[in-house]
Amino acid sequence: MPVMNSPYNGRQPSEFRILTELEGVPNSRSLEVYKKHGGYAALEKVLKGGMSPDDVINLVKASGLRGRGGAGFPTGMKWGFVPKAPGEKYLITNFDEGEPGTYKDRYIAELNAHMLIEGKLIGAYAIGASKSYIYLRGEFYGEIAWCEQAIKEAYDAGYLGDNIMGTGFKHHMDVYIGAGSYICGEETGLISSLEGKKGQPKLKPPFPAVKGYLGQPTIVNNVETLAAVPWIIRNGAEAYKKFGTEKSAGTKLFNISGPVVRPGCYELPLGYPLKRFIFEDCGGLIGGKKLKAVIPGGASAPVLTAAEIETITMDYEAFAGAGTMLGSGAVIVIPEDVSMVHVLENLMHFFKDESCGQCTPCREGTGWLLKMSRDIVNGEGSPGDAEKIADVAGKMMGRTICTFSDAAAGPARSIPQKFAHEFLEFYKSKQNAAQAHG
Amino acid sequence: MSNQVTLSINNQSITVPAGSTIMEAAQKLGVSVPHFCWHPGLSIAGVCRFCMVKVEGMPKLQIACNTPATEGMKVDTVSSDVKDAHKWALEFHLINHPLDCPICDQAGECELQNYYMKVGKYQSQMEDEKVLKPKALDVGDTLVLDTERCILCSRCVRFEDEVTKTSTLGIFNRGDQATIGTYQDRKIKHNYSYNLADICPVGAFTAKDFRFKCRVWFLKETKTVCPGCSTGCNVNLFQNSNQREYYRLKPRHNADVNGHWMCDTGRTMYEHLNASARLPAPLLNGETVSSQAALQAVTDTLKSVSADKVAVVLTAQFTNEDYKATLSTLKTLLKGTPKVFVWRDESEKAEDFDGILFRGDRNPNTRGMMDVFKEQGVSPVMLKGDFSALASAAAELTLIFGPEVEAGYPNLGKALSRFVEVKKAVYFGNTLNESAKKMWLRMPVKVFAEKSGTFVNFNGVAQKLKANPPVFTAVKGVDEYFADLSKMSQATL
Repeated sequence: MPVMNSPYNGRQPSEFRILTELEGVPNSRSLEVYKKHGGYAALEKVLKGGMSPDDVINLVKASGLRGRGGAGFPTGMKWGFVPKAPGEKYLITNFDEGEPGTYKDRYIAELNAHMLIEGKLIGAYAIGASKSYIYLRGEFYGEIAWCEQAIKEAYDAGYLGDNIMGTGFKHHMDVYIGAGSYICGEETGLISSLEGKKGQPKLKPPFPAVKGYLGQPTIVNNVETLAAVPWIIRNGAEAYKKFGTEKSAGTKLFNISGPVVRPGCYELPLGYPLKRFIFEDCGGLIGGKKLKAVIPGGASAPVLTAAEIETITMDYEAFAGAGTMLGSGAVIVIPEDVSMVHVLENLMHFFKDESCGQCTPCREGTGWLLKMSRDIVNGEGSPGDAEKIADVAGKMMGRTICTFSDAAAGPARSIPQKFAHEFLEFYKSKQNAAQAHG
Repeated sequence: MSNQVTLSINNQSITVPAGSTIMEAAQKLGVSVPHFCWHPGLSIAGVCRFCMVKVEGMPKLQIACNTPATEGMKVDTVSSDVKDAHKWALEFHLINHPLDCPICDQAGECELQNYYMKVGKYQSQMEDEKVLKPKALDVGDTLVLDTERCILCSRCVRFEDEVTKTSTLGIFNRGDQATIGTYQDRKIKHNYSYNLADICPVGAFTAKDFRFKCRVWFLKETKTVCPGCSTGCNVNLFQNSNQREYYRLKPRHNADVNGHWMCDTGRTMYEHLNASARLPAPLLNGETVSSQAALQAVTDTLKSVSADKVAVVLTAQFTNEDYKATLSTLKTLLKGTPKVFVWRDESEKAEDFDGILFRGDRNPNTRGMMDVFKEQGVSPVMLKGDFSALASAAAELTLIFGPEVEAGYPNLGKALSRFVEVKKAVYFGNTLNESAKKMWLRMPVKVFAEKSGTFVNFNGVAQKLKANPPVFTAVKGVDEYFADLSKMSQATL
């Protein structure tokens, strides 16, 4: 592959080490190693260096850090929404990581969960929360153990408790293990689940920052978002903004899956060229296969064709401009020999299974989309079906409590639109096969 | 700061209290916004996504039920994109609905049907097999549940959580497998269960007491007041006027009395109204006679006795007008006040209250009766289990006004056998009880559904009944009988 032009010419991914600094370090999960690499210095700076909660919020705002769970909402601004009035407030970490193709949060816990705990403590100080939870996906056995271990170590070392580092700041932390539902990764669905209810998103207003967990002001942050906070506090907003683009600051973990030579979790500055990432960092497709399409931000992100990724960069704005989204940073690579009809059916199966069933358009629509896609796969499709799928999907968008319905509709609209010819071929080949058998 | 906001809906201006939703403003204005899950007596769920409206300045359509009305807001409920949203919301509701209207008891009062005619009328694009779910589930003594018909609006779940606080119901599973049901090994067991059938917008919950008995389009409703207890819930009483047959009661909203609900006990208040449950004509010494003849016999007796030899036994189930007519006529005819007793069932705990609507005083007009006593200068003696006061009165003629709703008098048979002991017992009431057979005279009376009098509830709220034509045309109300008595006595003077 020729070297592509990009603002990062000559720099390798290994240079961007904010979240993956401990990669390859022996015994990286221990508190000792974490402290050797500057761990808990940020907390000390906040608590003992005279930073007020507003100072923390302003610094995070200035860094341009945005939510890494998928929506990309500015983190400092989110923290600023919490009312200053006294009373119980909660900071919850969304560690439900359920977006298909995503495995970045567990990578953080695998490297060192203290990054998350320190970031969480700083966030809790900023919003005035004395209690926080890590909401963990039930299947993450290792991650659950690592988080629990890190919390225990933090208590033992005096980073958690009633009088943290002797400053009088009080904070308690616990893990909560979910029962495995995609929708519990939606912030209000997560809050419902944490409250012991069925994991279903809540109606807004009221917004969680005003009335969330147990009716109290609540902030839900992604693991990756919080894990970046200590570095930002230590190095300053300007240092963080040196990475990424003007509107998409910093680095982001990208998970690549599909038949690439070197799949895995990569830390890259936002604005990194997608094509370079796939073909240089990840070594291109196995066996020199041709690229057909890329789902750039997890299952809910509308698909991009090979032509569309020629020049696109991996940041919130560029992806939004191409009608898709950065999402969780899960890049799913689809090679030439995979039918997009099967891709659609596969995705629709996922969304049908995971719709919470609360809002009618989503509950009924996701099932309907699956049935229609399955009909096509089973050779019962006919011209016009792909358009009908896109049409039904369009009526599911913007009509529900949470954005799950939009997420399901994204691929159901983009795949039939962008790969209409594959659907036509599919009807034809199935008809031919049927005639041959008849 | 003003606590009112003015907004416009379809260019019509409306002012509502701050904090109201668009839905509430639309209701006030009389603009209909289609909805399933929203119910004014329950919390907001916002799940049916049917009540979409356009709000100027907002990029997406909003749900009217949970969007706060704000000053100067411009709302549109009729533009083509809103109509398209309504049509599609309905389509999504119907793709897995069984469409078994011909055998569904809800047909005729089904919101899916109504809205299909109002905002639907499309050709369905659904060509796949529907999701199948459990049907005809026995969920308690009063209701049958068809989970396939359910549109998962969650009204019933919220009713159980918020009104009766029994939390028997939940929505189980997710996606299009989401199914309404009771928690394991639990049944709907409370005195408000029929409200679930009322608030269910479709035929998922149907009432065992009503299903398959009558198509709803044959029924006419009368706005009246429930006689089942001293709360006096406002109700609609449903009668098939061709058959003169009553089938059911449903609550009618009155924020000051019963809100949106009524109890299951009240729902039975149609049973005693139909011909088969009633005394059709007067019985004098066990012989059927005309009202004229019966009243003549009473008139003759009244002439021969003095006021202190006449006893009146009242129950608090008659109207103010009935009490007034009885007492004033007797005072005039007897030139004195008869002895007045109030009879209550010995098991009654009048102060009991279930915390929702149902009261231990099973008489609808205790307050009204007491008011009339005061007005007429009467001080009654209480008969409750102990009838010795009546016996020692040694009356020559005893006029007994029995309870119309006998369910509130579980010891009725025992009490009736005591009344037989008095000389010349005249019983005004509809009872078919064996013990009443030995009474001197039994006068059938109109039931609450046939009267237009007044009940005063426990809280002092006076409410008018609305009269339907009587099931037996010769049967009159107590007030009418006493007006007749008065005339007859004067004629014979």
